[in-house]
Amino acid sequence: MNGCPMLRLVATILMGLAFARAEAKDTGLIYVSNEKSNNILVVDPKTYKVVNDIAVSRRPRDMHFNADHSKLYIACGDDDVIDVLDVATSKVVDKLVTGSSPETFAMDETRRRIYVSDEESSTLAIINMDRNIIEKEVPTGAEPEGVLVSADGKTVYVTSEVGDLVHAIDADRGYVTQDVVVGTRPRRFAATPDGKELWVSTEMAGEVYIIDRQKFVVTGKIDFLPPGMRQTDVTPVGLVMTKDGKTAYVTLGHAAHVAVVDVPTRTVQGYILVGKRSWGITLSRDEKTLYVANGLGDDITVINTASRKAVVSIPVGRVPWGIVVDE
Amino acid sequence: MSSGPKAASKPWAHVLGPLLCLAWPLAAAAQDIPAPSQPAPQQHVKIAFVQVDGDPRYAPIRASDRIILKAPEHPFAGAEVGLDEAAPLVRVLNTDFTLDRVVVKSPADVAPAVLQAADAGTHFFLIDAPAEAYRPLAAAVRGRDLLLFNVSESDDVLRRDLCAAEFVHVYPSRAQLMDGLVQYVVSRKWTNLLELQGPSPDDAAMTAAFEHSVQKFGAHIVAQRKFKPGTDPRDREQNDPALLSAINRDFDVAFVADSDFDFVRTVPYHLVRPRPVIGSIDLEPVAWHWTWDHNGAPQVNSRFEKRSGGRHMEGADWAAWVAVKMIVQSVLHTNSADFSTQRAFILGAGSFDGDKGLAVSVRPWDHQLRQAVLLAAPYEVIANAPIEGFLHQTNELDTLGDDQPESACHLNR
Repeated sequence: MNGCPMLRLVATILMGLAFARAEAKDTGLIYVSNEKSNNILVVDPKTYKVVNDIAVSRRPRDMHFNADHSKLYIACGDDDVIDVLDVATSKVVDKLVTGSSPETFAMDETRRRIYVSDEESSTLAIINMDRNIIEKEVPTGAEPEGVLVSADGKTVYVTSEVGDLVHAIDADRGYVTQDVVVGTRPRRFAATPDGKELWVSTEMAGEVYIIDRQKFVVTGKIDFLPPGMRQTDVTPVGLVMTKDGKTAYVTLGHAAHVAVVDVPTRTVQGYILVGKRSWGITLSRDEKTLYVANGLGDDITVINTASRKAVVSIPVGRVPWGIVVDE
Repeated sequence: MSSGPKAASKPWAHVLGPLLCLAWPLAAAAQDIPAPSQPAPQQHVKIAFVQVDGDPRYAPIRASDRIILKAPEHPFAGAEVGLDEAAPLVRVLNTDFTLDRVVVKSPADVAPAVLQAADAGTHFFLIDAPAEAYRPLAAAVRGRDLLLFNVSESDDVLRRDLCAAEFVHVYPSRAQLMDGLVQYVVSRKWTNLLELQGPSPDDAAMTAAFEHSVQKFGAHIVAQRKFKPGTDPRDREQNDPALLSAINRDFDVAFVADSDFDFVRTVPYHLVRPRPVIGSIDLEPVAWHWTWDHNGAPQVNSRFEKRSGGRHMEGADWAAWVAVKMIVQSVLHTNSADFSTQRAFILGAGSFDGDKGLAVSVRPWDHQLRQAVLLAAPYEVIANAPIEGFLHQTNELDTLGDDQPESACHLNR
């Protein structure tokens, strides 16, 4: 072996591959979708280096792992498909057909369904994951975006960016049962773990609206203004909540900060500086690390949630949209 | 897509005479929604779109050899997109919206047509008429419970001298457009400007607005020249871009005011120095551009192209779209069937998403919509004004156009 470096190299690569396959789950790897470079970049959370570059369909945006993390589903807006990526091999193994310009989606693996908002056709498509067919298209307000499925799978919530509405949709029967008017340009959701509240970011209103899910009315609003920023730059989009339902993190878009919100008191506790037009946000499973995609900075920011400080910014592809962590 | 009856084509409108109304009921679009029990709408909000047949602003612009360079269209399709977007709201609002297209024969017929529709219960109007229609219109509607949205006329006189409370100028003023343009060149430190002015009154108004902006933002006009379109060799000092620009001082940019879009086509690449051209060609300040791809613009452009049969969305289309949106949102956010409540929302607290960044809203002093101005090259929006660094104590959009202290109109006093 010593006399043959080439063989040794091949053996090392093969061992590496085997190792990678065995460790496909719980790798902690960070997956970033890039709208304009049409790829998913995989970042090592320890070295902060890009370790894989996976070409997918055009304009990849929202991403979700299935329950066992064997597959990553990626909505690709310009090809009207959800790519299904095999996580172990980093290959796209299937494409689910959606309506026009899929943006965000939610999965209900129990019912084998994907609910995807189709921005251009102004519908919520209900897709059967196994049969790869659109079972139903539910008309929504113009430019639907955020999608959230209730824990029991019976209700799907969708925002309409242009309609200033949040719809509640009966998942079985496939029509809107209730609407509530919120602030201008509602984008995305977070649900409190007790199932009582729905938090909605409203980009142009610069606020987060809080909806009582039982009564389906607005019960509160949260305003943001990071120090030194202008009110008009505050354009909240992404939001995540900790599992104990105590803390929410909200990306403020052009205001280039993440707001830290105390959920029970609905008060802002602080702001963390990030990059240009921050939208996509995700928490690591241990909730010690926060990842933020800076759409107009072509990078992601890694934040230590204990110190509430940015640790590092990592250059990725063009217009990063979403981030998910394989763990 | 919902399918409504097609909008009136122009020749047909011509045949049918001075007043043509086509109702396009929104209810047809709403039928797609399989809501189990939809109560009949309680409120009907009527919107009338008034245009003038033969409006010279929509005459095709031709090259000398009969090639059609631009074929501007009335912005009715923009209003239709706004109405399409309202379809899912019918259920929430218990309100349906109708959009009537009224085509009149001359600018003088606008006021009578508006009064006739007002008497039939229409409060909201989209006015797509040349500037001369506005003075008699303002006199006719003064004190009435009406709101008229100017969707296509940039004349500063309407905002300053006419100053009528019944109008909302959704289309940007010349002052806003020129301020946006000059902010951009100043931000690039291209502050030495050559000014070439055409013979028409519109060119004079554009030049006046430009000069005001130049003074406001601290640029310099190094030479002012008036051009005279033509090929007469005796007038070559006035019709040859090279000779017009052969001045002994250098300049960074040539500004050309040419509303006829005739002479200005010959200016790029014909100046004596290699300098960019701005104003009426190459870099133009506009309310909207089909290549704008931020703030949700691609979806709006796409809906517009579908609705209009493949046309690119332009500034007036944007204004008509936003006007309808303002009306719909006034019902949505006040939850009121009362016109004066809706009007108070539009003129007061209402801020609206115009899909070009900062939220748009109505200036209380002259009822101009404060909004961003796009600086558009033919295939790219180069910048979105207000340009970073031009600051304002309350709203950066008020760095564009007549801010309250310098406004000649004080509707809020």
